[in-house]
Amino acid sequence: MATPPAAARPDRALSLNMRLLAHHPLDGFGGIGEGMAMQQARDGRRILWLAHESAPKNFTAVDVSDPRAPRVIAQTDLPHAKVRSNSLDVVGDLMVVAYQAQARGLTPAGFDVFDVADPESPRRVGHFDASGPWSRGVHALWFVDGEYVHLAGGAADFQPRNPKDDQFYRIVDLRDPSRPVEAGRWWLPGTREGDTEDPPPRLPAKHDAGFRAHNTNVFPERPDRAYVGYIDGGAVVLDIADKAHPRLVANWRYSPPFNGFTHTVLPLFERELLVVSDECIQDAGGDWPKLVWVLDNRLETNPVPIATLPAPPREAFVRRGGRFGAHNLHENLPVPTSWRSESIVVGTFFNAGVRAYDLANPYQPQEIAYYVPSAPPLAPTGAVQLNDVYVDDRRIVYTVDRHVGGLYVLEMTI
Amino acid sequence: MSEAVPAVQAARDPLASRIPITVITGFLGSGKTTLLGKLLRHPGMDRAAVVINEFGDVPLDHELVASSTERTALLASGCLCCTLRTDLQETLRDLYARRRAGEVIDFDRIFVETTGLADPVPVLHSLQTDGFLAAHFRLNGVVTLVDAVNGSGQLDREPEAVKQAAVADRLVVTKTDIAGADDVAALRERLARLNPYARIATAVAGELDPRFLADIAPASAAAGDDELDRWLPRAAAALAQSGGPRLFERPISAGGPHDARVRSFCLRFDEPFTWDALHTVLETLAALRGPDLLRMKGIVRVVGEPGPVVVQGAQHVFHEPVRLAATGTSEPGSRIVFIVRGIAPDAVRALFAAVAGLAS
Repeated sequence: MATPPAAARPDRALSLNMRLLAHHPLDGFGGIGEGMAMQQARDGRRILWLAHESAPKNFTAVDVSDPRAPRVIAQTDLPHAKVRSNSLDVVGDLMVVAYQAQARGLTPAGFDVFDVADPESPRRVGHFDASGPWSRGVHALWFVDGEYVHLAGGAADFQPRNPKDDQFYRIVDLRDPSRPVEAGRWWLPGTREGDTEDPPPRLPAKHDAGFRAHNTNVFPERPDRAYVGYIDGGAVVLDIADKAHPRLVANWRYSPPFNGFTHTVLPLFERELLVVSDECIQDAGGDWPKLVWVLDNRLETNPVPIATLPAPPREAFVRRGGRFGAHNLHENLPVPTSWRSESIVVGTFFNAGVRAYDLANPYQPQEIAYYVPSAPPLAPTGAVQLNDVYVDDRRIVYTVDRHVGGLYVLEMTI
Repeated sequence: MSEAVPAVQAARDPLASRIPITVITGFLGSGKTTLLGKLLRHPGMDRAAVVINEFGDVPLDHELVASSTERTALLASGCLCCTLRTDLQETLRDLYARRRAGEVIDFDRIFVETTGLADPVPVLHSLQTDGFLAAHFRLNGVVTLVDAVNGSGQLDREPEAVKQAAVADRLVVTKTDIAGADDVAALRERLARLNPYARIATAVAGELDPRFLADIAPASAAAGDDELDRWLPRAAAALAQSGGPRLFERPISAGGPHDARVRSFCLRFDEPFTWDALHTVLETLAALRGPDLLRMKGIVRVVGEPGPVVVQGAQHVFHEPVRLAATGTSEPGSRIVFIVRGIAPDAVRALFAAVAGLAS
């Protein structure tokens, strides 16, 4: 081959069974984190709420009732530049938005509660403070039942032995939205100052990202289980029947030899499978391979890996610019506006775009759709960096760029 | 708060999520190369990939827009032209891998030219039995070209020519401009007898509306009556009388010695099958008469399935049945078309009846 593969050329879009319906750069603030939620407003409109990856913007609301013509209807600012929102969720008219500070001790660090009954004018109705001398606040949160927020965050009373282990799993009772109160917590034994257990051995310095929680998912099918990506600590399943005292059910550890950063643990209940995604955090393949794993979960105390989703070709993408590897999955949110599938998994892979996989045969997952946008203008890495994805109940795929590209709306023809 | 949570939804669309492959076959000199040469340049083919036997077959000199490699060339129309590697399976796998890597265009359909003498059935088998190909591709249909000047003689002499016509979803009569009108009419009539369920068109100098070849099989599980009729014309089987499984047989061809043994018929059923009964019949047919079961296509109703089910096979290999959505179609019964060699329609009908009797 005289010419390099087009996948290595970030100016080219690539697609299979996905068609671009619309692209919205979000009024010049197109860097979106990993908070995407859809509200069915009281007047029938569908509002997609997006948490920004970093300051100055907090969150943006996009009317996607017509997916071919998305309209920004609200965009808010953070109180200062040393905080980021990154994560949000919506149930009914109630939205929670995470705040993580750049340094320990800063505020706000926790989450806000907004009434979004009037989506054009979000109204703050509550705040949960997770700030403290060792805390950066909340990185990611999960709110789907209207009652409890499950989150990865720090706390004023939590002193980690290693500063990288500052965010653990917390359950917050939001039944009174104006007065959120902690209902329970769990951290990896050995990570907190004063623990009797030994601290976990660190990953090699190049890959030492920390033993802390990332996504903390709880579903109505198993309200007594929390599925937690615990970064360098692997995949964690907790028994939360007693919210005040979560107990470990399973901990699947695979790093080393792999390079850590377990991000999402997505259960497919009817299939008795777990889908576990890593997050790629280094450019140009520095931490390759970052994968999405399929685990047999028939015996929940012993999840067994049986496959990985076929990764996009490394040779083609590793030179495209920025990060290349797994990140967020569409998480089958148990809300009316979310698509839910037990056999198709949709995920984002930074410069390799958004991809859909068929797990009909869990031992041999097949890639059945993808869309890789061309590099958005002024992309700092020179390529698109798709960060998160949400699939609505119409099978419309919404995916966002981490830096500048904003929102891409896609139709899936599978 | 208790908002209604949607049930976990069903899986991938077994048709829409796979790239359609159209097999173009026909005897030596039947005009495949001319047809493909025209097809490649058609503006509607801007995301097609064409697998041909030899670059030399199709003159491409003025069409290249990018430097070609030894095996692929991108044409001005946007169409990707690719030569066959050692075998078709390897070629299709390679094309798919290179599509993912962005080395070739994001093609959305593939046309495969078979060699002149080739039996197209093994190609159909590859699409079903090769796990990778079956996961990513689906058969759109078989297009068989028949030369109006020499076609009749080939059908007389060559069993492969008869087979190519018998398995076709579309028949294209070529070179009609240099054949006598009576000869063309006779050939069309002969082909219609041999394979009454294929649509027939004529092409002069390769000129043919690509849509005639593009949309043969249903393209999604939500397919409606129109799409199903395009694949398995209801009109050809619409002479229904009421009551019981009904049989329509085209008269045995008065053609040459090879097509004399080929016959086609359509069975219709008012009552739905059970999966067990359907599998039993098809497995029995394949086991006992596989080589003579040239092509089978059906749109059937199965107990417990809300929508119709598409079944098809060639010789001893059946494709995975495809469940369609309940909303698309209106016809309550089943219809199955058989194109066979030396199998009495009554025997097939009796097999269905016997299995149904035992299964009920």
